[in-house]
Amino acid sequence: MAQFAEIFLGILTAMGGFVEIGELTFTLNGGTRFAYQLLWVNLLGTIGIIVYCEMAGRVAAVKHRAVFSLIRERAGFSAGLLTLVASAIVNLLTCSAEIGGVALLWQLVSGAPYRVLLLLALLFLVLVVWLLSFQSIERIFGLGGLLMIVFGIALVHLGPDWRALAAGFVPRWPQTSHPRDTLLYFYFAVALMSSIMLPYETYFYASGGIEDKWKPSDVGLNRLVVIVGFTLGGLLSVALVGMGAEFFAAKDVEPQLPGTAALGVAATLGQWGLFAALLGMFFAFGGAAIETALASAYNLAQFAGWPWGKHRRKRDAGRFTLSWLAVFVLATIVVQTGVDPVSVVEYSIVFSVVVLPFTYFPVLMVAKDKSIMGEHANGWLSNTLGWFYLVAITLAALAAIPLFLLTHGGRG
Amino acid sequence: MKQPRSLDLLREVLDHEVVDAEDVSCGMVDDLAFGRGQDGPVLDALLVGPGAWGPRLPALLRLAAGRLVGRAVVRIPWHEVIEISEVIRLRSTAAELGLGRLDRKVGRWLAKLPMS
Repeated sequence: MAQFAEIFLGILTAMGGFVEIGELTFTLNGGTRFAYQLLWVNLLGTIGIIVYCEMAGRVAAVKHRAVFSLIRERAGFSAGLLTLVASAIVNLLTCSAEIGGVALLWQLVSGAPYRVLLLLALLFLVLVVWLLSFQSIERIFGLGGLLMIVFGIALVHLGPDWRALAAGFVPRWPQTSHPRDTLLYFYFAVALMSSIMLPYETYFYASGGIEDKWKPSDVGLNRLVVIVGFTLGGLLSVALVGMGAEFFAAKDVEPQLPGTAALGVAATLGQWGLFAALLGMFFAFGGAAIETALASAYNLAQFAGWPWGKHRRKRDAGRFTLSWLAVFVLATIVVQTGVDPVSVVEYSIVFSVVVLPFTYFPVLMVAKDKSIMGEHANGWLSNTLGWFYLVAITLAALAAIPLFLLTHGGRG
Repeated sequence: MKQPRSLDLLREVLDHEVVDAEDVSCGMVDDLAFGRGQDGPVLDALLVGPGAWGPRLPALLRLAAGRLVGRAVVRIPWHEVIEISEVIRLRSTAAELGLGRLDRKVGRWLAKLPMS
């Protein structure tokens, strides 16, 4: 019974923690601009994150090795350092965007000045990470993020075009009226893929497995939680595309701000829907801010070989603790400059995809190595999918920056 | 007679995590130091700390890295190594070997804060 509860909670936590501000922005906007034409990217990205988080989680359970020590060991010092610096930048930008998102949500509810709310958000997040255990943080923010289901309920309430929705899962050349829109379609495809497969998710997931003291016997639990939890999380992102296609496109509104995203639910379900959407987004953004700050500290500590982990007393993991505190402070300074959090999201998403191949290659190398993983090494399916996604994200990484420049950051 | 196991230093030692006698991470093998033996070079010590990164970085980054991460480097005699597996395990504690000084300094500062 206890194990069943553990699996159930793990699945719900994985589902609730799936969406963050970048994914919200790109799924809603993708749906608004291209209706259901990009849904196949949601499917592709969701399977991709399942494949690699399962591998990273399995390595953590069997060998107690986290992603960044593998990156340095397998890719070498220079490539490891490059990946560390690049991932630190994208994690910082993502964390900034999430903190900005939290402050924007609080501003919507309270009307208080945005910059003051940014400082309050910083204080709140630092206190949460300082005072709560790893598992409590994971559970509270993961389960709170489940309130995002309200977007799915709103979509069903709107009565979507189910046939068009189902057809969206099949990749096809975009039906656009202008070549510029075709470029924009591919920009959104790359950005959407990146937002679903953000690298910090793999760093955090594998390090979390070590925090939770997974053992080789937890390999099955890891697989179940990742497959079911992320698939259900993927359904949330499908619901967001649907809301873009059915609600915002019809009203010719580009849902750039989190508040605008909640309006779609408010107009469909009324006041309780609005509250649920705002609260769900708060947990989703807050949870992602914590995950990115911790992921940055995990990466740095694993690269340099410092003692790390929330399971240790802060005084016993001094530089690790100082690192996540520094990321929160720096991320808040970035948004305090007045830069629009949504623009920060766009930069972080585009540059994240460039980091992805460097992150995933060492994970695949270790997970498939029988001399290291023994009976828990990749089977043919994991290997095939692993190589397929490595090629896919490398192509996406090569295309990301040219597409970003050609489409003026998605503005056409 | 049991053949001595050959060791691939680049693959099995360099850039691996170093763990002390209390099972606490205390750095990475950032470089290797060799001495001169009767039959050629002999591995003398592991070099741990960002000060050992310099020779492994492109010339342009060397100066910047020195300023950013410092030049601290600790020499761990090879006879301190008791196990080579996924991690490099040492006979002594980090404090005895002079590793993780900054961590202990930051830790003492953090210890003044509540719930640390």
